Amino acid sequence: MNSSCSTTGENANSQSNPWVPNTAVIREITPEVNEVATYHLALADPTAAKAYHFQPGQFNMLYVPGAGESAISMSGNPDSPETLTHTIRVAGNVTRSIAAMKVGDTLGLRGPFGTSWPLDACAGQDVILVAGGIGLPPLRPVIYRLLAERQRYGRLHLLYGARSPDMRLYTEENRLWSEGGLEVKETVDRSNPGWYGNVGVVPLLLERLESFDPAQTILMICGPGLMMRFTARTAIQRGMTAEQIWVSTERNMQCAVGLCGHCLLGPEFICKDGPIFRYDQISPYLKVEGL
Amino acid sequence: MDVQQIEQILMELRFTAELSNEDQRKLAGISRLQEYSKGATVFTEGSDHKDIYVIRSGRAEICMSIPARGCLPVLTLEAGDLVGWSSILKLGEMTATVVAMEDTQMVAIDAADLRELCEQDHDIGYQIMQRIATALSQRLVASRLQVLDMYGDINSFNSSQ
Amino acid sequence: MSDELLADIARSCFLSNDQFAKLFEVLHTLDYEVIGPTIDQEAIVYDRLTSVHDLPRGWTDIQEPGKYRLEKRDDDALFGYVVGPHSWKQKLFPPVSTLSVADRTDDGWQFTEPEQELPKFAFLGVRACELAALKIQDRVFIGGPYVDPSYQERRSQALIIAVNCTQAASTCFCTSMNTGPRCKAGYDLALTELPDGFVVEVATPEGEIVINALETQIATDEKQRQAEATRQQAVDQITRKLDTTDIRDLLLSNLEHPQWDDVAERCLSCTNCTMVCPTCFCSSVEEVSDLTGDHVERERKWDSCFNVDFSYMNGGLVRNSIRNRYRQWMTHKLATWIDQFGTSGCVGCGRCITWCPVGIDLTQEVAAIREKQT
Repeated sequence: MNSSCSTTGENANSQSNPWVPNTAVIREITPEVNEVATYHLALADPTAAKAYHFQPGQFNMLYVPGAGESAISMSGNPDSPETLTHTIRVAGNVTRSIAAMKVGDTLGLRGPFGTSWPLDACAGQDVILVAGGIGLPPLRPVIYRLLAERQRYGRLHLLYGARSPDMRLYTEENRLWSEGGLEVKETVDRSNPGWYGNVGVVPLLLERLESFDPAQTILMICGPGLMMRFTARTAIQRGMTAEQIWVSTERNMQCAVGLCGHCLLGPEFICKDGPIFRYDQISPYLKVEGL
Repeated sequence: MDVQQIEQILMELRFTAELSNEDQRKLAGISRLQEYSKGATVFTEGSDHKDIYVIRSGRAEICMSIPARGCLPVLTLEAGDLVGWSSILKLGEMTATVVAMEDTQMVAIDAADLRELCEQDHDIGYQIMQRIATALSQRLVASRLQVLDMYGDINSFNSSQ
Repeated sequence: MSDELLADIARSCFLSNDQFAKLFEVLHTLDYEVIGPTIDQEAIVYDRLTSVHDLPRGWTDIQEPGKYRLEKRDDDALFGYVVGPHSWKQKLFPPVSTLSVADRTDDGWQFTEPEQELPKFAFLGVRACELAALKIQDRVFIGGPYVDPSYQERRSQALIIAVNCTQAASTCFCTSMNTGPRCKAGYDLALTELPDGFVVEVATPEGEIVINALETQIATDEKQRQAEATRQQAVDQITRKLDTTDIRDLLLSNLEHPQWDDVAERCLSCTNCTMVCPTCFCSSVEEVSDLTGDHVERERKWDSCFNVDFSYMNGGLVRNSIRNRYRQWMTHKLATWIDQFGTSGCVGCGRCITWCPVGIDLTQEVAAIREKQT
């Protein structure tokens, strides 16, 4: 039922027991914007660390004993999995506990889980990544891969929207990305004094994109549900098909292994059939209110 | 700039590209190309403005005036975007101020002439109104998304799936 | 067990009532913990049995939507009833279990598997619908990309002694779901009760071991005929039907049908149906910490999609009304389950109908949607 290119990654920890976490150590913390920071983790057990591999778009369950687990996408380089990078926004008890941690602290990690972005489908195509707010971190691993083999792909665009200029993530990397061959366009919903960039929602950036050939483009969207639906709508209005569009969905994830039922959206377990879906397969369910 | 050059521009702009050659010629006859240097005001909120524009190149900002806070940007526009739709709809005053953010070229169409053209030739009138309606519906949707503050924190009006 | 092996081993014999009573000793000698039907709080539930005397001899159950009561029979049948509020899932997928243990050490948090005792169960009295339910839960817990180790261990050690139904309750509809009333596969032994004993079908080596420790007789043609006749009673007594024609597409193309609002006015969102359903598997995980906070266990507990905060996300509830929660339960059980696991999630046992305090009958809800499709 899900035709994204990669299947669920191998569970690097206790192979036989998907419920038991591995110990992960915080090696570095990079503050990002308000309430958001990036945590660079490493698995404490060297064998587990060596065996761990992930595909862009996959997530881990990060565990703070006493607070619980939270599903966090990896935001780092998939070709350097000795460091597992997670950009986390404070949104509840678990993430608030993580935000209070220091370098050297440990937590639990289960993963990698979930489906991944369809990089295989992108060879020879133009690729447009559309991200909103905290939706950029799950797409950053794609950027690493795209730029590592730039010649495999056509035109590359990142269209990024944030609430306001001071809420944009990874701004220092924009230049690196541009130089690597990824054209970056940003916009904000509301501006601050001193902002001379675009103002307006991110679907408008797609609306206006000049160098755009709907027949040979793959679109990957990650952000608030509303933004994903309207970006997909714009893409389809401009001649793309739903089979060329991929989205990352969200539900409350508890077990991450398709056994607790919390993440169900229609027939799909978001944790194992997703979170990344091809748009034609998931949009009928996204459209039903309260499903 | 002569009519033929303007016709050429109309053939490229998304707003007018799919019109028939004849319609583009008629439009070109009531249009002219306007240049705005960076920082120049195209029109101000509340003014009774005579032209409707389509941006050819550059960028412009729509902003609205709030006492003690200045003119706050609500939307930026680029090549292909329609500007100043209020003038053709005879709504009277402009609802926002538009300022060029960089050196900008716009195709300016006299609003009164355009209304006259649409009155006399309902076919072209339909084409024009359809395009304006499309542009406005996109703006409306965009405005709604901005209002919903979809990146907001947990306690603000949040998106849901 | 593969069909070939079943055919090799499958054989019938007859067990007298006296010998059946000795079954308990045999099972205990083989270290099985016998779980089976017994009366508790005016219902027939599944609990530990020590001898034949724990079985509800001479009792039957009367079931209707929202109603369950026991009545005395005019014979001494040991299995003269159908299914009660319990199902076998409570032994294989316990209501509360520990998933992992976290201990704070000098090297940071260390995580380990919990020490669990993994009992060896003999399930005595498994009905055909329950065999189907076991197969469905096997698919969920051990048939997917992630295997639940505790379920797998318990399941692999469990001995299944099935019992063919000789009657049906008014809430039964196993025939509509093709799951019964005849036990066809998935058991070690299957019994059909007659006045003087049991016709036994032996299907596996584990079943052989048990039956070989008892004195059996030949299952004569006459005995087989009696057994067939008594099993036929169950078929004849089934009155409730669920029309499953195209049910997946029917439900998924009627997600805004007014019937959902109709049932929402009756449904209390009490979760009874999910608790008694033998295939429901939703759960939640909680932290259980000691006083120091240095030893924390992750506990898994049964949960239900009817619970208000089951669908909590980002500060709100995705399924914020009884209407949406009922729709979730029914469309998952009867429609999207097929997409996920290849079969319906419903085995037609009728428990949800009996134990719903307001007597909601999902067979009627489906019929109402089918009758007036949007």
